[in-house]
Amino acid sequence: MAVLKGALRLVLFAVAGFMVYPRGLAADTPTEDQVQAVFLYNFSRFVEWPAQTFATPDDPFVIGILGSDPFGARLDEAVRNEQVNGHPLTVRRFHNLAEVDNCQILFVDRSEIARIGQILALLDHRSTLTVSQADGAAQRGVMIQFATENSRIRLRINVESARASGLTISSKLLRPAEIVGKGAKE
Amino acid sequence: MSRSSTPIRRTLMRMIFLSCGVVLLVTSCAFCAYEFLTFRQSSIQQLQILSRAIASNSTAALAFDNPEDAAGVLTAFRADPHIVAAALYDAHGNLFAVYPQGLAVQGLPSHAGEGYTGAGYTFSRTALTGFEPVAEGSKQLGMLFVESDLNAMYARIRLYALIVVLVGGVAVSLAYLISRRLQHRLLQPILALAQTTTAVAERHDYTVRAARTGAYEFDLFTDTFNQMLTQIQESEGKLQSQVSRLNLLQHITHATGERQDLPSIFQVVLRSLEENLPIDFGCLLLHDDVSKTLTVSAVGAGGQDLARQIGLSPGVEVPIDANGLSRCIAGQLVHEPDVEQVQFPFPRRLAAAGLRSVVFAPLIVESQVFGVLVSTRRAAHSFSSGECEFLKQLSEHVALASHQARLHGALQQAYDDLRQSQHTTMQQERLRALGQMASGIAHDINNAISPVSLYTEALLEREPGLSERSRNYLTTIQRAIEDVAGTVSRMREFYRERDSQLTLERVQLNRAVQQVVELTRPRWSDLPQARGAMVDLQTDLADPMPEVMGAEHEIRDALTNLIFNAVDAMPTGGTLRVRTRKTGGADSEARAFIEVTDTGVGMDEDTRRRCLEPFYTTKGERGSGLGLAMVYGMIQRHSAELEIESAAGQGTTVRLSFPAYGSSVVVAPKAQQVIVNRPLRILLVDDDPMLIKSLKDTLQEDGHAITASHGGHQGIEEFSAAAKRGEVFDVVVTDLGMPHVDGRKVAASVKGISPTTPVILLTGWGQRLIAANDAPAHVDKVLAKPPRLHELRAALAELVP
Ligand SMILES: Nc1ncnc2c1ncn2[C@@H]1O[C@H](COP(=O)(O)OP(=O)(O)O)[C@@H](O)[C@H]1O
Ligand SMILES: [Mg+2]
Repeated sequence: MAVLKGALRLVLFAVAGFMVYPRGLAADTPTEDQVQAVFLYNFSRFVEWPAQTFATPDDPFVIGILGSDPFGARLDEAVRNEQVNGHPLTVRRFHNLAEVDNCQILFVDRSEIARIGQILALLDHRSTLTVSQADGAAQRGVMIQFATENSRIRLRINVESARASGLTISSKLLRPAEIVGKGAKE
Repeated sequence: MSRSSTPIRRTLMRMIFLSCGVVLLVTSCAFCAYEFLTFRQSSIQQLQILSRAIASNSTAALAFDNPEDAAGVLTAFRADPHIVAAALYDAHGNLFAVYPQGLAVQGLPSHAGEGYTGAGYTFSRTALTGFEPVAEGSKQLGMLFVESDLNAMYARIRLYALIVVLVGGVAVSLAYLISRRLQHRLLQPILALAQTTTAVAERHDYTVRAARTGAYEFDLFTDTFNQMLTQIQESEGKLQSQVSRLNLLQHITHATGERQDLPSIFQVVLRSLEENLPIDFGCLLLHDDVSKTLTVSAVGAGGQDLARQIGLSPGVEVPIDANGLSRCIAGQLVHEPDVEQVQFPFPRRLAAAGLRSVVFAPLIVESQVFGVLVSTRRAAHSFSSGECEFLKQLSEHVALASHQARLHGALQQAYDDLRQSQHTTMQQERLRALGQMASGIAHDINNAISPVSLYTEALLEREPGLSERSRNYLTTIQRAIEDVAGTVSRMREFYRERDSQLTLERVQLNRAVQQVVELTRPRWSDLPQARGAMVDLQTDLADPMPEVMGAEHEIRDALTNLIFNAVDAMPTGGTLRVRTRKTGGADSEARAFIEVTDTGVGMDEDTRRRCLEPFYTTKGERGSGLGLAMVYGMIQRHSAELEIESAAGQGTTVRLSFPAYGSSVVVAPKAQQVIVNRPLRILLVDDDPMLIKSLKDTLQEDGHAITASHGGHQGIEEFSAAAKRGEVFDVVVTDLGMPHVDGRKVAASVKGISPTTPVILLTGWGQRLIAANDAPAHVDKVLAKPPRLHELRAALAELVP
């Protein structure tokens, strides 16, 4: 009996050992866009929107893309079936400023950055988190800017803009990020 | 404390320590177990809290793929130094960040992804490990792995152990102090009691009492114990007095057993009672069964004055009153606790002397009361029943001892008598044998010297022309013959058979002394000389000496013994003086003394006192111890007295003192006269030719006609033949001792033929016959051999006038 048990255990160990074989840290590295898509979605968890943002509890949490969409289907994949505080996540693509409607996160593509003043003015008083990958976007009033450093994507956050929009950015998010504009560490 | 107290103390201590220890141990164990468990719990909680905080802080790092930040967040684990490793895994389970920096990844779980079920905390032997999900909102972003070492716990455990030891130590000390206090209260009475019992057991002192302590039930115990002690003390006291009485009884019995005479037995009994029981006055009364009287026999040494005062001195007769004494005479022990109440004369006499308690104990032998032991005390009611019992037992012992003393006396008497008669018989046997031998020798010597005596006498008388020298020689021969004859006759006399009854005769002491001195010459002269010692014997005889009435041979024997003893006392020689003297005149007070004095070793006091005892001798095998005893016997039979003066080294004088018999009679030797007989026809009968020839020769010279016949038979024939012829002999001289037909027969035949013919008997044994003057029948005269001519002539003249 004891022998049988010992043999069984040996087999289990062998199987377990095979299963937990380390896959390694360097799996196929996702592209910059892919990462940014995930990040975009992740922001919904580290930023707090004012209570009156949603009219009803069933209102969707909208991630808007202004300009050309660098993420494509990957973003849709990332948000599928996801919810933020009970609000189903949806992705809406805006081709121009006029289309921009009620949305909680607005990704401003590099292509639209030239009109950033207009955009921000439009979004004023709306609790919309603005995100862009364009260089210097944060300095120009975009709340969060993706910046690539050492082939890693880093965040630059303009806390002032966010506060002005009535958004609270989690300190957790602020810690790894670079603060830009007023209140930034020089 | 005594050694017996230690075990109970120790046991009590051990019990207390054991129970304390067990309680303490169980409590400590429970406490430790509880602490251990709660500590585990709290360790887990703490780790969980920290992990959760850190997990929550690392969400952004995971969400925005920032490992540097994640590593930064993880450094927060520094807050807990026991956390040795931590790792962050992303949602796919890939390792994202580690703590501390540079941690070897081999030690970590390789993978922990979404839905990984390893969440939770587990203890291994050395570490506490846990997985905490990292989630933001409902979204799990990864897993946090933490590992904490258990040093904290072990440190804690060590602390607990220390605390347990400390607390235990303190608790035990406290327990010891408290229990000591309590024990003292509890043990004190027990130990006190134990001490008392030890005292009792070791010293046999039953007078001690355990003290009451007032503690718990111990007083009851102590009281019971004390009560028990009291009882033991009482019975011990009783036992003690019983034992002392028993000792006294034993002592008295022993003392009486050593004594053989009644007076000293009674004395020792009374003295012991006076000293040891004690009594105030005691006496012994003897009961005469015939005259029915009681006589005071002994009074205790301490009560002599009192006895005189109340008239109870020894010898006083005591009336037997109706009650007390008569009951005692009937064999009962009589106890009068207070004689004041008694009206009989004897008790009243005692009461008058202030003696109030009286016990009469009968002395009974063979159910006969022969005496009464009277014990008295001044205080009334002072004899306990135990003492009465003791007196009763004592009286039995005394009775027995007295009886034994009497028996002993009688036995001693019988024994002495027996020994005396045995001694006499022995002596007689010896003397008889010697006497017979001596008689034979004497007879032969007398026969042998008879011719010498006869011829010498005849020659001296008749031989004409004898030269002076011849006469001198013949005279010397005659004296020598006389001496021989005298010696022989004395010798015979000495060994003469003893008469069973002492026949007293008149004895001349001087003669006896001379005879004995002569006879013992070999002993005092020859034997010492052979040894080179010189005994100088001097006789100092008073003249005149009165005669004494006695048995001469006994006196001679006694003198012989005294001379022998004197010689024995002078092994290196000395002077031996034998003296006779007299005191008083011719009256009845006159006494005759013989003193034998030597210059020998003398006697010490003890020997002097005992030397008269039969068989007492200091000469060992050589002595018989009978010599002086015999002398003493002679002295008693002669109503004489014996005195011995002696001191060690001072010589000895033994003095015999006899009552004198009348006044001194000096018998003057009769003048020898020559008797001339008419010529006679004499028949001479003897078996010795020498004697016949010498007698015939000498008698023929006197002018007689002699017919000699050899032997008795021939003699009778000769006489009858002559008678038939009508020539009857005028006289017949015959020897007594002849073979076949002796002198007696010859005499008888002669008298049968001619009753008027005188017969003269010559005998070598004759001295006794002559002395006793009891000539045999038919013999007219007995003459001793050797016959003296003048005696023969006198006899012939007397018989044939
Ligand atoms: N003349 C003496 N001088 C010293 N001792 C004597 C004399 N006569 C008697 N005794 C002592 O008395 C003892 C008893 O004497 P006796 O009766 O004659 O017995 P024995 O001569 O056989 O010893 C002797 O043994 C001796 O010790
Ligand atoms: Mg002697």
